[in-house]
Amino acid sequence: MPEVEYTTRMNLEPEAIWDFVKDMNNWAPYLTGYQKHEVINETDSIWTLKGDVGMLVRSVTMRVHITEWSGPERVSFTLTGINEEMDGGGTFVMGRAAPASATAALVKSEAPKPGIFRRMMNAIARFFFRRKFGAGPQRKELTAAPASELKFTLRMDAGGKTAPLVNAMLGPALLPAAEDLANKIAAHLEKLHDTKKAA
Amino acid sequence: MFWSKKKAQWTSETDVLVIGSGGAGLSAALAANESGAKVTVLEKAAKVGGATAVSGGVLWVPNNHHMPEVGVADSRAEALKYVLRLADGRSDEQLIETLVDNAPLMLQFIERAAEMTFAALKRYPDYHPEFEGGKPGGRSLDPGLFDSNELGEWKSKLRRSPVFGMTAMTVTEATDWGVFSKPMALPFKLLGERFQKGLICYGGALVGKLLKATLAKKIDIVLSTAASELIVEEGRVIGVRATQSGKEIAIKARRGVVLASGGFEWSKSLAAQFLAGPLTHPNSPPGNDGDGLKMAMSVGADLANMTEAWWCPSLVIPGEEYDGRPLNRGDFATRSLPHTMIVNRRGVRFVNEAQNYNDLMKPFFSFDPGAYERSNLPAWIILDQQYLDKYALMTHMPGRPAPDWLVSAPTLEALAAKIEVDGAGLRATAARFNELADAGVDSDFRRGESLYDHFYGDPDNKPNPNLGRIEKAPFYAMQVHPGAIGTKGGAKVNPNAQVLDVDGTAIAGLYAAGNVMAGVTGSGYPGAGATIGAGMTFGFLAGRDAAKQKPV
Repeated sequence: MPEVEYTTRMNLEPEAIWDFVKDMNNWAPYLTGYQKHEVINETDSIWTLKGDVGMLVRSVTMRVHITEWSGPERVSFTLTGINEEMDGGGTFVMGRAAPASATAALVKSEAPKPGIFRRMMNAIARFFFRRKFGAGPQRKELTAAPASELKFTLRMDAGGKTAPLVNAMLGPALLPAAEDLANKIAAHLEKLHDTKKAA
Repeated sequence: MFWSKKKAQWTSETDVLVIGSGGAGLSAALAANESGAKVTVLEKAAKVGGATAVSGGVLWVPNNHHMPEVGVADSRAEALKYVLRLADGRSDEQLIETLVDNAPLMLQFIERAAEMTFAALKRYPDYHPEFEGGKPGGRSLDPGLFDSNELGEWKSKLRRSPVFGMTAMTVTEATDWGVFSKPMALPFKLLGERFQKGLICYGGALVGKLLKATLAKKIDIVLSTAASELIVEEGRVIGVRATQSGKEIAIKARRGVVLASGGFEWSKSLAAQFLAGPLTHPNSPPGNDGDGLKMAMSVGADLANMTEAWWCPSLVIPGEEYDGRPLNRGDFATRSLPHTMIVNRRGVRFVNEAQNYNDLMKPFFSFDPGAYERSNLPAWIILDQQYLDKYALMTHMPGRPAPDWLVSAPTLEALAAKIEVDGAGLRATAARFNELADAGVDSDFRRGESLYDHFYGDPDNKPNPNLGRIEKAPFYAMQVHPGAIGTKGGAKVNPNAQVLDVDGTAIAGLYAAGNVMAGVTGSGYPGAGATIGAGMTFGFLAGRDAAKQKPV
């Protein structure tokens, strides 16, 4: 199952991040390829994303089900494809930043450690992603020790007999998508924080 | 002949300037290079490969040297007879001879220049294998797989097919594995591994191999540069004006310019002006706007075959995009498999649905003078649940719930109402179709009679691989749109691929190959790869001849 994890750090209190993340309407438009979402009830929603599958762009509709809602630390969810045979899930974990650590990305895939080939694939995927969806948000460099971190984990698994092929195509697209979402949330919150401070 | 009014200030110079980087263009470049010329290739798009790169990548080469390897005999006389019949009087016999005589030479040249070997497809029949001179296989050639990592930094500049670009299998493997009739039996693990390794197939593999050779020979390839005007001096084409990053540049071509810029299928005005029918859903990459055609016309080129295209029915999945435009998927197999039929608004069949995609489209444009409308547009493909249970429908795999982009209904009458087709007509047509399916003989339209039809059918379906009852609810429909993989009208050429003016005189310094050139096969489509085979043959001839010209 292709799975990625991305952590970004901010000079904000974890509660500020939670306040934003707990309402999916806040960050839904920051999801790569976001088209629309419909809230069904407190735990379920239907999302339509337009994303690259191989060489072309397709619309994918998924049901998102919240399985854990533990503010201000953690949100977990599952994903179930409606028009595509795939499922997956993810977590947002917010907390105090570990000291002296930098933003890092880690890929968890079928291979336990990302080898040079996998890293190359990710670099290429990131290049295409940036070219298609534009550069990621401009963020200021952290000057002081970051107060908190937002860790975003995402996994997707195609089902059925075609899974090995579809997963091979999905894998390289996941990390840039996870990076993009986490960084857009961070950029939004930092801007909001700066505006409040200036006021 | 119109002469350029502006005196050119050359930005750069070359011997042979090739416009377009598809199969025809890269073949011209390699041939000119081998003849000692300095060559530059201009490509309007940001990626290399044009329509060839999104195609099946197969070459149709009659009487080729690989045919004995698969036990199929061929001859010049058979090939000529076959192509002449298909051309239907719309092509010059001398050019057909040029194609038949030079395609095998082109193949040998490309194998040498690109250090690649094609494989004859023993079981891929000509598109009319039962015609005199037609063959049950062997004339269509598979380029095999290609490791795209061999292109280095150019890997990302290779155009990839939205349809064929995701499954790295050779055409031979696709045939052996039953890609159409047994989609769930494909080795998906192997395909996933190949995808991760960067292996590609079909048109991407063909262009990848040609591109690798082009780069190895230090031929300049200039991307994102759109040629717009031929520069003529003293009756000779000596260069082009082009736009690059918003600026006009002028490139001198000391020995000649080869137009290999593709057809005009994406130009709504040119398509409406010339084609025999409404081409609403082209299958090629957006960008084939007839630039080369207009440049040739502007220097007085004679035109031919302008009503024709390499027609292909298109199906559309809403939301799918390629290069920023809705993706029009060519339908090669759905209509040939059991449990499908195509009907018009009266709910009536009007064609052998399993016919080759080019000839299939011709009755779509049938005109009813009384009603003053096209009788068979719009058209719909009708299928039942049995189809979805067994076969793939574009991105839909058997066993999955019916996709929301399919129109569905519990009865044929209800389906007809949804798509505004006559319900009684559809019911009667399905009843008749089921009788034919039971008999295994389509006495109405001869579906399932030709070896070609069987190639895209289900060999396990009895008594006929192409005929199966439409009876199991729910019933489904998709609109079938007029599409084409390219147009095939354009500049008339002589056997050296030199563009001719309206008096039949060669325009000095100007050549054409591929879909910008008047198609040699007229309205016909001899077999898989006929577009690329002919394009590369005339590209080869053009490059070789241009390189020999006295420089200006």
